[in-house]
Amino acid sequence: MWRMIATDEAAERQAQLLRGCLDMCLLALLAGEPAHGYELVRRLDTAGFGPVSYGTVYPLVTRLHRLGLVADMRQPSPTGPPRKVYRLTDTGHQRLTAWRRQWTEFAGVVNATIDVHAPPPGDKR
Amino acid sequence: MTTSGSAIDSVLATADREWRTLGVHRRDRVSLATDLRAELEAAGADGLSPADLLGADPAGFARSLAEESGVERAAPRYGTILGVAGAGAVVALVAGYALVAGLHQVFVAAFDLPRGTRVPIWLAAGVFYGGVVAVVVAGAVLSVRIALRDVPRIRHTAARMTLLLPPAFGAAILAAAAAGRAMDFALTPAAISTEAAIVLAAFFGATALARRWSLTAAG
Repeated sequence: MWRMIATDEAAERQAQLLRGCLDMCLLALLAGEPAHGYELVRRLDTAGFGPVSYGTVYPLVTRLHRLGLVADMRQPSPTGPPRKVYRLTDTGHQRLTAWRRQWTEFAGVVNATIDVHAPPPGDKR
Repeated sequence: MTTSGSAIDSVLATADREWRTLGVHRRDRVSLATDLRAELEAAGADGLSPADLLGADPAGFARSLAEESGVERAAPRYGTILGVAGAGAVVALVAGYALVAGLHQVFVAAFDLPRGTRVPIWLAAGVFYGGVVAVVVAGAVLSVRIALRDVPRIRHTAARMTLLLPPAFGAAILAAAAAGRAMDFALTPAAISTEAAIVLAAFFGATALARRWSLTAAG
C-alpha cells in the first residue's frame, strides 16, 4: 500500500517536473531530426521520460508552431496518407539555445542546493 | 466506413462539441479538425487508433488543444448578460407601464366606447400579456445589444434572444396560469412566488440558452 502511494507520488512529481521543461525537450528532440507527432512520443520514451501521452505532446507542438518555433511540412508515408512532420525554425534554434543555457544554470543551482542540504549517508533523522 | 474511420469521426465530433462549447470560431474549428484528422489518419495507417493516441478523454484533449493553439474564443459571460437583460426588462416594464397608463388616460378622455361593446376575454388577455411580453423582450434585447456591444458575438446572442424569449414567455404564462389554477388562483405569497418563479425561470433560461446557442454556433 505504502509502495503504491510512493509510486503515485513519484509519478505526480515527475509529471510536475516535466510540465516545466517539456517544450524545451521537444525542441531538443526536433533539433536533431524532424519528426511527426507520435514519433515525438516515441522519442520522449526512448530518451527516458517514460510514457508521455500524445494528448500532451500534440497540443504542445501546436503551441510551438503558433509561436513560430517549429514549422511543419507534409511528408509522404509508405503506410498511408502523408504525415505532418515538424522541424525547428531558426527562431526555434535560437530559443532552444537560450532555454538550454537557462536550464543548465537553473539545474546547477538546484543541484548545488540539494547537495549542500542533503543529510549525510546513514543519517535517519 | 472502416472502424478506424468511424473512431476518428467520433473523436472529431466530440472535439467539435467541446470547441463549440468553448466558443471557438468556426474557421478555427475547421482548421483544428483538419489537422487532427490528418494526424489520426496517418497514425491509423501505422496501426494506432485514436484511443491509443488520445486515451479515454478526447474532450479534455480538445480543450487542451484549443488552449495551446491560441485560437480565438468568446467568453460566455452568462452572469453579465443575464444581469443586463434582467435590468433592461425591468426598466422597459416600468417605462411601458407609465406609457400605457398615460395613454389610457388620453384614450378615456378622447373616446367613448358604445354601450354594449364586448371585448372577448381571450383578446383582452392576449393584448395585455402580448404587450407586456413585447415590452420586456424589447427591453432585454436592446439593453443587451447596446450595453454589451463590445462583448464578442453579442449581436448573435441578441438575435437569438428575440427568437427564443417570446415562445419561452408564452409557455411560461400558460404554465403559471396552470399553477395558479391548481392553487385556486389564491393571492397568497406562495402562489404568487410560484407563478413569478416560473416566468423568471423562462426568461433567464431562454436568455442563457440564446447566449449558449450563439457561442456554440460560432462562425
